[in-house]
Amino acid sequence: MPNEPLIDALAADLAPVRRRRVGRELLVLAGIGVAELALVLLLGGARPDIGVAMLLPSFWWKLLGLAALSAIGVITAVCSFEPAASPRRGLRLLALAVGLVLAIGWAIDSGGPVTMPLAERLMWHHGLDCVFRMAVLSIPAIVALGVLMRHGAPTDRRASALAVGAASAAWGAFVFAFNCPSDDPLYIAFWYCLGCAIVTLVGRLVLPTIARW
Amino acid sequence: MAAAQAGNGGAYRRLLAELDAWLARYYARRLPSAVADDAAQEALIAIHAKRHTYDPARPFKPWLVAIARYKWIDRLRAMARQPETELPDTLAAPDHEQGVVGAIVLAELLASLKPAQREVIRLVKIEGLSIAEAAERTGQSESLVKVNIHRGLAKLGRIVQERGDAE
Repeated sequence: MPNEPLIDALAADLAPVRRRRVGRELLVLAGIGVAELALVLLLGGARPDIGVAMLLPSFWWKLLGLAALSAIGVITAVCSFEPAASPRRGLRLLALAVGLVLAIGWAIDSGGPVTMPLAERLMWHHGLDCVFRMAVLSIPAIVALGVLMRHGAPTDRRASALAVGAASAAWGAFVFAFNCPSDDPLYIAFWYCLGCAIVTLVGRLVLPTIARW
Repeated sequence: MAAAQAGNGGAYRRLLAELDAWLARYYARRLPSAVADDAAQEALIAIHAKRHTYDPARPFKPWLVAIARYKWIDRLRAMARQPETELPDTLAAPDHEQGVVGAIVLAELLASLKPAQREVIRLVKIEGLSIAEAAERTGQSESLVKVNIHRGLAKLGRIVQERGDAE
């Protein structure tokens, strides 16, 4: 057999390994998420009028919507770091969920009073700041998921990278939602989508090269 | 594999020898003979490096097939990146017949490409002709031969990625 020396070398190199467990990885990620959120809140990151905001449907819409999106994204990504698994079904579900969240946001928006012109509602200088903070807050997630992706064995690297990017984006936006003073669904839909798109794109472009194996 | 994860070298050695034979058959049907051996070696190394991702509660075969397929796609993409690298004659010549007839699955896949792409991939990558010879044979310019090989192999990689493996 031509590969005899290689086989000998690999067998000689054999050391016991700790098996990869999806449940353990999800727990670690949840821990990181809770720690990040706690840190942001302890450092005074919560919006000052959070008590009033909690009475508004749009506050809960963005919080619960983003929590659901990041949960779907994280589970899809982590489950795909295994050779025989594909993230594509999870990605379709995620796309569907994004559509659903946006539809609910539109419903909330059309129920509210129409007051300001479009340009004023979007407040672009505020918006850019939002996008920046969102991206920064997604860094812990993208790093942690990137490490797990490298450690695992994703066979559909590009799709896994897309799942990691989307999950991190929704995660960053979720943490930022506690800080963001806006309750206007249009503003949220526009700037959050932009911020999430940037983070997702970065993940999709960078991670496949990092997680080669 | 469960024994190997725990560090049992004897069992692991036997497993690798079996896998080596299986991989040799797998790639013989899917790649030109000149690169099939390299692919099998890479797959063995990948199996070793990623052995912690196997869950003994699940069947072993799908895990193995997924890794073998991943390295197959890798190989197709690598071939697409360097269309001008010709296979050395010494490698292609001895088992020329087997190289052409053996890669059944690859031949089936080639059928889904455009005729111009299919033809030059067959000539250069499987039969081992040079770019110039393939250009002369098909009437395509040399740069067109390169482009067609590149696009065709890249497309094959995508096709394999998209569809589930039949095995």
